[in-house]
Amino acid sequence: MAVARTSMKGDRRKAMIWSYVFLGMFVVFFLTPPVYMLITSLKSNAEISAAVSPWWIFAPTLENYVELLSSPTYLTFFRNSALVSILVVTITMLVSIPAAFALSRMKFWGSATLATGVFLTYLIPETLLFIPLFKIFVFVHDLTGIELINRWWVLVILYPTLTVPFCTWIMIGYFGSIPKELDEAALIDGAGYLQILTKIFIPVALPGIIAATIFAFTVSWAQFLYPLAFTTSADQLVLPVGIITTLIRGDVFTWGQIMTGALLGAAPPLIIYAFLMDYYIAGLTAGATKG
Amino acid sequence: MATRKFNRRRFLKATAAASTTAVFAPYISTSHAAGKLEVGFWDHWVPGGNDVLTKMCNEWAAKEKVEIKIDYIPSQGNKNLLTIAAESQAKSGHDMLAFPTWWPADKAKELEPVDDVMKDLISANGTVSPLMEYLGKHGGNWVAIPATPGSQIKGPCGRIDLFKQHAGIDIQKMYPAGAPPDKALSDSWTWDTFLVAAEKCHKAGSPFGIGLGGTTDSVDSMGALFGSYGAELVDAKGNITVNSDAVKQVLEYMKKLVPFLPPDVFAWDDASNNKWLVSGKGALIMNPPSAWAVAKRDAVKVAEQLWTFPTPRGPKGRYQPYLPFFWGIWKFSKNKSAAKSLMRHISTRSAVEKMVAASQGYDIPAFSKLNDFKTWAEEGPPKGTLYNYPPKPGQILSISAFPAPPKIAAQIYTQAITTKMVAKCTQGGESIDKAIAWAASELQGFMRS
Amino acid sequence: MALPLILIIVLLVGYPALFSIHMATLNKSMERFVGFENFTFLFSRETFWMVVRQSVVFAVTAVVFKALIGFCVAHFVHNIPAKGQRKWRGMLLVPWVIPPAMSTLAWLWLFDPSYSAFNWILEGVGIAPVNWLGDPNWARFAVILVNVWFGAPFFMIMYLAALKSVPEQLYEAAAIDGANWWQKLWYVTLPMMRNIIAITVLFSLIVTFANFDIVRVLTAGGPVDQTHVFATWAFKLGIESSDLPLGAAVSLFMFPILAIAAIFILRDINQRGNEA
Repeated sequence: MAVARTSMKGDRRKAMIWSYVFLGMFVVFFLTPPVYMLITSLKSNAEISAAVSPWWIFAPTLENYVELLSSPTYLTFFRNSALVSILVVTITMLVSIPAAFALSRMKFWGSATLATGVFLTYLIPETLLFIPLFKIFVFVHDLTGIELINRWWVLVILYPTLTVPFCTWIMIGYFGSIPKELDEAALIDGAGYLQILTKIFIPVALPGIIAATIFAFTVSWAQFLYPLAFTTSADQLVLPVGIITTLIRGDVFTWGQIMTGALLGAAPPLIIYAFLMDYYIAGLTAGATKG
Repeated sequence: MATRKFNRRRFLKATAAASTTAVFAPYISTSHAAGKLEVGFWDHWVPGGNDVLTKMCNEWAAKEKVEIKIDYIPSQGNKNLLTIAAESQAKSGHDMLAFPTWWPADKAKELEPVDDVMKDLISANGTVSPLMEYLGKHGGNWVAIPATPGSQIKGPCGRIDLFKQHAGIDIQKMYPAGAPPDKALSDSWTWDTFLVAAEKCHKAGSPFGIGLGGTTDSVDSMGALFGSYGAELVDAKGNITVNSDAVKQVLEYMKKLVPFLPPDVFAWDDASNNKWLVSGKGALIMNPPSAWAVAKRDAVKVAEQLWTFPTPRGPKGRYQPYLPFFWGIWKFSKNKSAAKSLMRHISTRSAVEKMVAASQGYDIPAFSKLNDFKTWAEEGPPKGTLYNYPPKPGQILSISAFPAPPKIAAQIYTQAITTKMVAKCTQGGESIDKAIAWAASELQGFMRS
Repeated sequence: MALPLILIIVLLVGYPALFSIHMATLNKSMERFVGFENFTFLFSRETFWMVVRQSVVFAVTAVVFKALIGFCVAHFVHNIPAKGQRKWRGMLLVPWVIPPAMSTLAWLWLFDPSYSAFNWILEGVGIAPVNWLGDPNWARFAVILVNVWFGAPFFMIMYLAALKSVPEQLYEAAAIDGANWWQKLWYVTLPMMRNIIAITVLFSLIVTFANFDIVRVLTAGGPVDQTHVFATWAFKLGIESSDLPLGAAVSLFMFPILAIAAIFILRDINQRGNEA
């Protein structure tokens, strides 16, 4: 018996060592691109074009950072991205919290179908919708004179289609786990639906709301297709499209700047993630543990 | 008195704004009364290429009391074409826009005729080549005027040292600076000589870098080659003529050339050939002098050995790949007169000269009297490297997909049918006939209305 | 209270989806009804079939590798002491957090023809440089690799959560019965994770099938259209070549696979509903 136990312990140890080895390999694979971004961003153009070791910085410089952060164009992209993301997150929360509340508590005609419908919407990719949307925007312009194409705020209208379904879905899950007795008690005490929502549901489901917020933010920050198809002027662009279409300048390579731009563009989600990783993961895996 | 003061102060403010934001500003706005003008120019590749234009526009805006908003739209990733397509669909956007190559023709019906401007420009600046007329004039009307920024010739830019060493060709002697080309040497500068030189440089480890991807550099190089062999994919009437001996000849030629090129040329974009040259790996690329300009900034040793010279001659003559830009005014624009006034302001001889200088000689104006600026003779190192860059008599300015009807040509151009044919029968290992059959079927698709 | 939600879904998802079906039956200038002409036109094109094949190969291969890597890495993380797990998990999730358009730029630069940092290493150890994006097969490999890199962490995190929910007693019982690690995996872990594997694979299949940014940034469909997937090709035709109806027709081909996936997922949800 004692022998068996020690061999089992030995197996565990071995498994653990191998696990570390493989984890190390995967971390290298997973982190190579971002690390390479950082390396390139700290090089001067001359050093990059000299084609010396790409993995080592011989003369580190912050010139790319200085140049980008003092460029009104780049700061405009940043501002647009921030504005769009903040507005989208706000809209998403204003829409999906009440909707999730209604769908999880108020049984009305079609509420079950609607819940399924919300989920299915999440499955319709934006790559299927951008062409008809483009034409619809043209119609709207012809009919009403409202310009939708090449305006950054059109993204504020579009992104919720990507964020609201999933956030509603997460929230339905969180709200569903709140015991019915709680709101029944509140109802008896004479509280209205609004009060139940603000006094009971939102505080209890706060982790879920944070997760949904992070989700909505990352999605709107990273979206690429809609801004590429619908915005073109430099002052209307958001970061991902701005970097790809204006920093890559054809003939002239500015890879130091491109990598700096990409790294700075990736920074906000990375920072949020660094501080709120546990919420983020909890949100992502919301359905997983219940399955 | 009061108004004059106001004006001067406003002007000072405007110029101050212009000078502080000149480096990076994508748009400048000064508040003025005579309407608003939104302009989209091509985003220049040569570092600092936009600044002069921005400054001139602001001067004009201050004088005419127009509120101007300038966007610089890059052509990387077809951003400029996307903008044109989107604005044409949406019937809104900029008032005046830069249109490359086939796009004035493609959007001819949606563009405001500019014959009045063009007439004055021709009488002041000289005539334009038949190609420009073909691209810019439709139904008897000029729909756009030739733009200086971005108009470029993509002739060879080679390494003086490597050519001498490996290919035994003295390009400086063949095409000297400040003097006409050496008759015998330049006569023998044909595509066959090019092939031999490519082989020798390949053997020596410094291959030519001719892109065969889907972007303009690749398409334009092939356009000149196809043109100089008289190989047309679609004729002027819109008949598919790709199955011809001339096309087969070109593909045969490319089958011989491709093995001497770097293996990844099929994935090259407009930046790849520049990187190839700047990194010191290549002996020749076909590109305007932006590669040299970057080398001058980042790798001076390479720049000192660079020399721009004309394209090799083919059976039909010496075809120089030309990528012209135009400025056009959308019919939906609400301030057409201002746009026309701006067009005139930035097309005068002195304006063009300033732009050419700012682009370090990159820009090639379309007008015949504007090909003699000092910039090309003086730029260096090496001094005179750009002397042979502007078009000279005896050369034919060509464009890929010529002479197909514009709507079809535009698609041949963007879909890079020429380079794809080459890729299919070289890298793809297909027969020439199969590549031609594939192209014919693609061309059929472009006839859709 | 659900009204804004319904409005968003109906106006900005439902209506455009239906409208795209209508659009696909119009001619290029959208003035005339042409029935199935756009579709028959597509069927006659070699490039279309190439895109179909590439989309399927791309999506299936990428999802299989994402799931496999995610599964393995989740086990490795689960194997190490709980104290260090958070740190490893944090590092491993980074690819999923960076906006794919940005991280693909880094890959593009790693694969660059003249300056490839990978080739620099290969040359250092005496291997001939790889033609990453210029050779059709390597280019296909590259887009899949980047997609796997981006998506595997998501699987990892989902599977890790699922692993943690498997009761430890089950493994102990299996150990007493003399099960080896393989039997434990096959008889305990996999059945317990069946649901979550199915859901993540289906989800990822949809998202991967509809992928746009990675292919667009990395190869833009090249060389010679051989890495195009439905979304990038639809963009090329619809927006870049101003043939909106044809683009709409192409993107509609994503619909069948989405419908199948949706049916499976719906069934799963209903089952869960019944169990609860």
